[in-house]
Amino acid sequence: MKHKYQALFFFLFLLFSVFVVSAQEKKTNYGNTPDEVIPYGGFHKAYIDFFDKPQPFTGAGREKPEPAGLKEIRIGYLGPLEGSVMVPQGIQMLQGAQLAVEEANKKGGYKGIPFKIMEHNDVGLWGAAANKVVAMNDEHVWAFLGSIDDINTHVALRMTLKLEIPMVNSGDPDPTLTETRIPWMIRVIGDDRQSCYALSEYIYKVKKLKRVAVLRVDNRYGRVGIKEFREAARRMNHPLVLEIRYAEGDTTFTPQIQRIIDSEPDAVLLWGNAKETALALKQMRKMGMNAPVFGSDRLMSPEFLKIAGKDAEGVVTTCQYNPNLDNPKLKAFQKNYKKRFGMDSDVFAAHAYDGMNIIIDAIKKAGLNRAKIRDVLTDMKTFQGYEGVAGKIIFDASWNDIGAIWMTEVRNGEFHFFPTPPFTSGKVACNN
Amino acid sequence: MDSLKQNRMKGVNLIIIVLLSFGLFGFSPGKRDTVSKKNKNSIPDTGEMPVYGNWKTFTKKDGLPADKIYCVRVDGDRVLVGTSNGMAVYENGTWKTYSVKDGLAHKGVLSIDVSEITGDVWIGTLGGLTRWSSGSFHTFTQLNSGLPNDIIYSVICDGKDVWVATGGGAGHYDTYSDQWDIYMERNAPMHEPWTYGVCAGDSKIFIAAWGGGVIEFNTKTKKFRDYVDPDEQMELDVFPDDGVVHDITTGVSYAKGILWVGTYFGLSWYDGAHWKSYFDHDSGLLSNFINYLKADGNVAWMCTDKGLSSFNGKTWVSYQKNETGKTGKIIVTKGPRIAEGAKTKEVAATSSICHNFVLGIDFNDNEIWVATSKGLCRGEKIK
Repeated sequence: MKHKYQALFFFLFLLFSVFVVSAQEKKTNYGNTPDEVIPYGGFHKAYIDFFDKPQPFTGAGREKPEPAGLKEIRIGYLGPLEGSVMVPQGIQMLQGAQLAVEEANKKGGYKGIPFKIMEHNDVGLWGAAANKVVAMNDEHVWAFLGSIDDINTHVALRMTLKLEIPMVNSGDPDPTLTETRIPWMIRVIGDDRQSCYALSEYIYKVKKLKRVAVLRVDNRYGRVGIKEFREAARRMNHPLVLEIRYAEGDTTFTPQIQRIIDSEPDAVLLWGNAKETALALKQMRKMGMNAPVFGSDRLMSPEFLKIAGKDAEGVVTTCQYNPNLDNPKLKAFQKNYKKRFGMDSDVFAAHAYDGMNIIIDAIKKAGLNRAKIRDVLTDMKTFQGYEGVAGKIIFDASWNDIGAIWMTEVRNGEFHFFPTPPFTSGKVACNN
Repeated sequence: MDSLKQNRMKGVNLIIIVLLSFGLFGFSPGKRDTVSKKNKNSIPDTGEMPVYGNWKTFTKKDGLPADKIYCVRVDGDRVLVGTSNGMAVYENGTWKTYSVKDGLAHKGVLSIDVSEITGDVWIGTLGGLTRWSSGSFHTFTQLNSGLPNDIIYSVICDGKDVWVATGGGAGHYDTYSDQWDIYMERNAPMHEPWTYGVCAGDSKIFIAAWGGGVIEFNTKTKKFRDYVDPDEQMELDVFPDDGVVHDITTGVSYAKGILWVGTYFGLSWYDGAHWKSYFDHDSGLLSNFINYLKADGNVAWMCTDKGLSSFNGKTWVSYQKNETGKTGKIIVTKGPRIAEGAKTKEVAATSSICHNFVLGIDFNDNEIWVATSKGLCRGEKIK
């Protein structure tokens, strides 16, 4: 009898051990980082991992009662609307948000009170985005959506903690944006970390290319965006043969391209806005540089195809959604968007629509209390696995969307979408 | 042989029971000693570390313009308090509020300092920098001066000079020449000109640069240098003690030759040659999320999201409010880090800081003033 209990006890222990081990096996690395490219993975286990669990907000504010007598429920919008090269994207983002608000208002708004977007131009000067967040606070917004430019978004983010305004980002892929630990923002779009991992896997493993040169814009988007690719390349034993920059707005790239040619790469990775990268690509081909070309998400635009023309053929980029998916929600959104605004929606519109719908849902669930809205946005339950028109949102512990992104290849003047390749294991080749 | 088997089985059973207890019920060896009822209220010897108690809380009910207190600055017999709804001044037992209509640049007051030379009060707000001098207010903004940006996260006075950390770079104002200098990524070793904190000491200005670690400016040589996280990674720290723990820095304070650096990821200490790191899992620091910090002599005070910690390199004394009621606890950790043999003891306290989300601090000889997310509180030195 005694032995039976011992055996049962032992069996339970084994079962528990197996459960624990299998649960650990399912856990992904921070930011979906492939094992092969974990920083210092081949050298030393980190003393501390900062994003193994969400940062709580322990401040006051949840006790504030819901105000009475409101005529509208204000939600802020921060984005490029004038004076920036990103205005077309900003308008798409605004329109996506507007569509979500209009649909919500048709359904009765919040307890019969309509939602209203308080628009703020993301003017792009240092620090100005913070002033806009202060203005939104003075307007008593309950949350805000913004922005696209990584500098302005970072600057705005810092104010969210001081002013305690929930922020949903739907357009900035800067990996560091969600790495500040400020517990007032979630991001609902895949970031450049995901793009870099997808590109490195595709270039080095699928295409088996080895010598990659990078031509990137000399701003924060270029500097921070390419970082994860550069490091992944090194850790995969294929350090970049060249990383060279151009100034935003440049139209000629001859010196940079000559240096790229001299470095004899197998492939070139372009990281920048559509216009400059398209011009660089044309000049590259004109100078006899025929290596395959890959690019960041911003190349996936009609502007790039228009400027690059035939030279765009074969270019492979990443994209944070697939507009051609046979998804009824996406199709309805695309149809309604075109009907409402007379143009096709893009990636910024789709993610803004999802982001604004999440804000609206959070307000409806939490009520008119910023801290409680924040709690709902960040609880890792309410919106975990949210099925948006741009795809399924999967948050990691920093509230970064690590859901699936896509890749595209230009064929016959059109972008053709395909899934990112699965990460394959490889030997850790680098200590850092 | 049978008894040997039985003993082995007993041993196995014991191991299984212990393992199951850890796994199923979450029992784990705590880093802190529990307090026995016998010595529950006796504060252990803290050496040179001061201990505060007899806390009194001030809120809107007492005359403050808001319960959210961003900063506090003791100026002789008066206390200047920055809130989300103006600046309050406590003098002779009463509160007086100054708002935008009185001349403040914005109602949100994030930082205050007082010039030792002139007695002028410099007020950093969400809408500009205001100087309160001889009873009148004058405001500097991006539009009417060389102020880098209107969001003033931190302001300090260093002799005739006023330094600000803003959302658009660090600013220096020479009150004698009425000249502004702006320091940003174009003329200083900053990745971006996002600055969050500033302090002065030993002819140096230290700037907490958001995403850029710490920038040091030597006021004699006019030279810069920067201190960044050596591992260059945002998501982890490879080694402790190798440099500033993270490039996202939230505050700096310099005293007695030691630079203290606050981040949302832990605490750094630098003596000019060596760095040390302190985290909540390996020391007496209450939380890695440090909103603000201030050093006074050998002691640094860390305002965290889980209470207030103080540390002199040897002993930690922390203050935490209990979840309900007005009581709290004093947590004393003797020794800098667990790995160096630190031992912790918690002592129940009948009064406590008013909220655990601490945003600012200042002190005079026998009192400490603490700004929190829900009220301002004053403690008396009891040890």
